[in-house]
Amino acid sequence: MASLQSDEDLVAKTLEGEEAAFSRLHDRYRQRIYSTVYRIIQDAAAAQDATQEIFIKLYKSLPEWNPRKAKFSTWLYRLAANHAIDCWRARRRRFEAPPLDASGREYVPERSVSDAIFTPFGALERKEIVEQIRRCVDNLPELQKKVFLLRYFEDLKLEEIADMEACSLGTVKTSLFRATHSVRRALRRAGGSP
Amino acid sequence: MHLLGEETSDMEKEISTHLRECDECDGIFREYGSLVERIRTWTVSEVPEELWQAQKAALLARYRQDFAGGRGKGIIAFLRTSLETAWNYALEHPLSTLGYVAAALAFALQQTISTFRLDRILPGASQVFEILRQVF
Repeated sequence: MASLQSDEDLVAKTLEGEEAAFSRLHDRYRQRIYSTVYRIIQDAAAAQDATQEIFIKLYKSLPEWNPRKAKFSTWLYRLAANHAIDCWRARRRRFEAPPLDASGREYVPERSVSDAIFTPFGALERKEIVEQIRRCVDNLPELQKKVFLLRYFEDLKLEEIADMEACSLGTVKTSLFRATHSVRRALRRAGGSP
Repeated sequence: MHLLGEETSDMEKEISTHLRECDECDGIFREYGSLVERIRTWTVSEVPEELWQAQKAALLARYRQDFAGGRGKGIIAFLRTSLETAWNYALEHPLSTLGYVAAALAFALQQTISTFRLDRILPGASQVFEILRQVF
């Protein structure tokens, strides 16, 4: 039954110093946070380090979370996205994006990627699509990048993103439209449709 | 049919009706759906469990040190943490710390002087304080 504990319960227990509760929060969110961070930083090792730093920041700033203002997950995504953007800024001038493997996923040592052949697109087409999206996302302005990733990959509602970023719903909609338009153009330039 | 999955049911009905009647918008809608499908092909590989476990062990050790050991275990741990924080602050900001110490000393002196003056105005005030101290 422990795995069914709500985020609120786990947060309360973490604040009381219960290590097991914090451990469960980590298990629950680690991969999702890593994915968001990875899509911003686009480097597996750096994304893992950043994920660790985010969880350290998390327990230090837990007393600041107000459940009446935002869901825990939304608040955590905000923390993660902002930290990832900071890391991305720091890395941007120093590193180039690492190469993709044939499936379009970034290479992670000791992991099989053979499941990629069951996707609806062929491996090469998929690699090309992902490469274009990745390059395009890397060049998006920060707000557009966050809105785009949180909407399409984390399924956050536009209103949640607006609350998160402390901006209007209209700004979020415009950012999403512009980001989607940029990706669409990039895919068209690469010769794929739409 | 819906565009973002956040439309009200009325809006959703309206959109569906319009799309059935308007080929141009229907085309745009389909293109958008296809684009989102392609965007979501960007998947991220899962981090191996062993790596997560190693990271979690380091994270929990840090949590224990920073949180459970410092803040969560009674008044002595709290005082120790507070003194450590004050000491660290004093090392980082020696001038400000000297200022605070001087202000605290001035305040204490002022209080002492006030008590002596009180004794002059109300003879026996210090004896009353002494009796109270013994009682309590």
